[in-house]
Amino acid sequence: MKVSTLILYGCIFFTTFLPAEAIYKFDNSVEEKRFYSLISEIRCPKCTSGSIASSDVPVSRDLKQKVYELILTGSTDKEIKAYVTDRFGASSDYRPAFEGANYLLWFGPFIFLGILMLIFLSNRRL
Amino acid sequence: MSAIYRSLIILLPLIVLITYGTILIADKDDAFTYFESKELPQFDLQDLEDRKIDLAAFNGISLLNVWASWCITCLVEHPFLTQLSKNEITLIGLNYKDSQVKAKQWLGKRGDPYIFSIYDPRGDLAFDLGVTGAPETFLIFNQQIIGHIQGELNQEKWQSTFVPLINAVTQANQ
Amino acid sequence: MIGEIAHFLSLASALGLILLLIFNVFFYTYGKHKNQDILSYKLFHQSCLLIFISFGLYVYLAITDDFSISYIANHSNSQLPIFYKITSIWSAHEGSMFLWIVFLTLWSTLFISSLSLKHPLKKGTMLMLTIIILGFLLFLLITSNPFERILPFGVLEGADINPVLQDPALAIHPPTLYLGYVGFVISFSFITAYLFHGDINYPWEKDIKNWSFIAWIFLTIGITLGSWWAYYELGWGGYWFWDPVENVALMPWLAATAFMHSLFASSKSNILKAWTLFLGILIFALSLFGAFIVRSGIIDSVHSFANDPQRGLYLLGFSGFITLIALGIFAYRLPSMHSSKLIVTGSKESFLSMNNILMLTAIFSIFLGVTYPLIIEFINGDKVSIGPPYYNTIFAPLILLTSIFIMISLEALWQRGMQARTLLIALTPTLVISSLALYFIWYFVESFSLLAYVGIYSGLLIIISYLLKAVASIKNKTYLNKGSFVAHMGLGLLFFAISMNSILSYQKNVNLFLGEQQYINNSISEFKFLDLQNIKASNHDVISAEIFIVHDGQSIYLNPEKRKYFARGQITSETAIYATALKDTYLTIGDQLDDGSWTFSLQINYFIKWIWFSSALMVIGILMTIFKKKIS
Repeated sequence: MKVSTLILYGCIFFTTFLPAEAIYKFDNSVEEKRFYSLISEIRCPKCTSGSIASSDVPVSRDLKQKVYELILTGSTDKEIKAYVTDRFGASSDYRPAFEGANYLLWFGPFIFLGILMLIFLSNRRL
Repeated sequence: MSAIYRSLIILLPLIVLITYGTILIADKDDAFTYFESKELPQFDLQDLEDRKIDLAAFNGISLLNVWASWCITCLVEHPFLTQLSKNEITLIGLNYKDSQVKAKQWLGKRGDPYIFSIYDPRGDLAFDLGVTGAPETFLIFNQQIIGHIQGELNQEKWQSTFVPLINAVTQANQ
Repeated sequence: MIGEIAHFLSLASALGLILLLIFNVFFYTYGKHKNQDILSYKLFHQSCLLIFISFGLYVYLAITDDFSISYIANHSNSQLPIFYKITSIWSAHEGSMFLWIVFLTLWSTLFISSLSLKHPLKKGTMLMLTIIILGFLLFLLITSNPFERILPFGVLEGADINPVLQDPALAIHPPTLYLGYVGFVISFSFITAYLFHGDINYPWEKDIKNWSFIAWIFLTIGITLGSWWAYYELGWGGYWFWDPVENVALMPWLAATAFMHSLFASSKSNILKAWTLFLGILIFALSLFGAFIVRSGIIDSVHSFANDPQRGLYLLGFSGFITLIALGIFAYRLPSMHSSKLIVTGSKESFLSMNNILMLTAIFSIFLGVTYPLIIEFINGDKVSIGPPYYNTIFAPLILLTSIFIMISLEALWQRGMQARTLLIALTPTLVISSLALYFIWYFVESFSLLAYVGIYSGLLIIISYLLKAVASIKNKTYLNKGSFVAHMGLGLLFFAISMNSILSYQKNVNLFLGEQQYINNSISEFKFLDLQNIKASNHDVISAEIFIVHDGQSIYLNPEKRKYFARGQITSETAIYATALKDTYLTIGDQLDDGSWTFSLQINYFIKWIWFSSALMVIGILMTIFKKKIS
């Protein structure tokens, strides 16, 4: 089968709206690692669960593309996360913010551990 | 001392039980709203008729409705939107990731409830708004976003989510 | 007709169990009857048998494409191979609940029949099991009836099952997992009966030890199968996402692991008995919690079954009811459980207690992560997402502490403390070797991640300390618990492999035309797009690419695919993986761009095989422990 026919089949086969680039080319390996790390921490806004790294729905693609562009233009990880949560809500970050009620979340396990250790050390009949 | 532990052993699971029971019974809504208002993002787009957009349209109360010709649920939502526009609610469309030709055809066939529709083929404004698909509707007051519904806008969601916000904001400004 | 018979048998079974309870209450109130016990057991086993026959008939209905049954019509299809017609039974709520109950019944009937007639706890355990089986059976028949018919006529063809579910690993994952979760109903019920009976001195640990170990094995295999499937099927190289449904499987596993260790100590010395009893109840309670979370729809997850708050309430209520009964009796008996001996600081028991505490903390962290978003959303509508960044951060220090305690407890003695100096001297070789190894790794690996290095060090501590122990035992001809050695090597390897995987693995998006060749990096010197085929299979279209890669000098041919299924228009991606001992070359097809070129996602995932191997080691270690007495 001719290569051109194959390509034609391919185009008809997958008639989804594609962004111009789904390539994410980096010259810098540090930036590349940052990219893959960030997209695994940003939640897909449309899916029931999962990061944008694991999702191919349109809004995930748009987000990945945006993260890519922001890295290239020099934004920090924090700035990129803020950019995303400003638009899609705080729930888009799989790392809960370290503030307010979330202190209970981050310190909770260690407080629990501390309490159990205290009980154990003071009452070693268990 | 051990009496405390013993009662905790019963109490803690009971608390878990009651907590989960309460959460389960509570009503969960598709819609969610902002509790603090957000500024309408800046954008550099034109409407479906290639005209410039006057931001003054967003003064007062208006609904910004995200729609597209490929969106099936938008068909379901359309009659209700038409009804709202007849009741003098200002409707502004945001045509999302669509072809200009197909969008205009869609409106021609089904009626245009919008005073105009922003043409956003790449979804730039939609992205800045946090749109994840169509349909979605934003409640806007004086260029501030005060409400947001994902999914179909119907009588029930209108009454329970948007109307109270509209009332609150009109009262506050009297 | 057969559907009605199967349905009737399940109802009859429920009736039998109800009668069983009524009889026992009657006899308890009005005085014993001569053959009361024998008749009770007969009734129990026969009711269990009815459930098996009912399920067997249901499997027959699925195999013979009875699409007048609503559930079979919705989840199966005449074109499916027989294997997948059977596995479609547990692909959704009603059928998987049925399977759950079948396993519950299976464990119960086997365990009860293994107890002699004179066993003081046989009756109590049977009654507790009856209540539990009955509760779930009624739940099934009333709210989630798998036998519901489509009236007046069935449909001619079933809805096509999700093609993603037509996979051997995914098909076996639920049954293995259920056998695991549900197996702990034995410890739950037996312990409750023991506590109710009140004879503290009865050696209960012996009776449930092997049953619990076997359940643990199934649970471990079930969780590993799920991870393995996710890795090769989902296409983005991950194997664990801290998804709520994964988390609710991990919690019973952690409790079960703590229980196994505690059981060992509890039978060796009376100390820790209360811990062990509590853990034995906790495991099944966590399994119940898991069933509730998955089936109530309270949590958004790709895994969860269709939501229904009513079902959720029943499950929550019933689970809470039986857990509170068990814990209530436990709390009541707690004073008489108390050991007269204090645990000596620095003894083996003290470290086992510490590890129990750490396991409980790990369970609590997961529970917190699952519950916190629900509570916050309920209180003020804010949505919080909790995922890998949270869990990894919390678990890293917990894992390090666990490893340190494992390392120290290897040196510790039963019921005797140790001098700090002696301990330090004993530990020095392990600490030195592990630190050197860590330094080497840091030297050769470019990237640094605190969490990953904590994980690597934890793994090293366990591996090195057990290896040194093994060497010493061979040299001095002292005793070495081989099963424990193998299982803990598995654990250390797991920590090590997971951490190494996270810092070494990387990903590249490659974009090229058919026939083109590219240089990717020093390691991947050649990436060539050889061929693109368009194939039509029975129920899907395929685009298949042939790629040639030279990776570290090795020539690899990979065939990733994209499939479009006719029935639902679903598009799936088939990953092509070339796995060696050290790393996996992992390739998926992306999209075709406007200019005709294609994108591919190439991942190099390190130490993946070691992760599966470590899980196998843990299972083998436990098997060795179970069969130890039989060998020697």
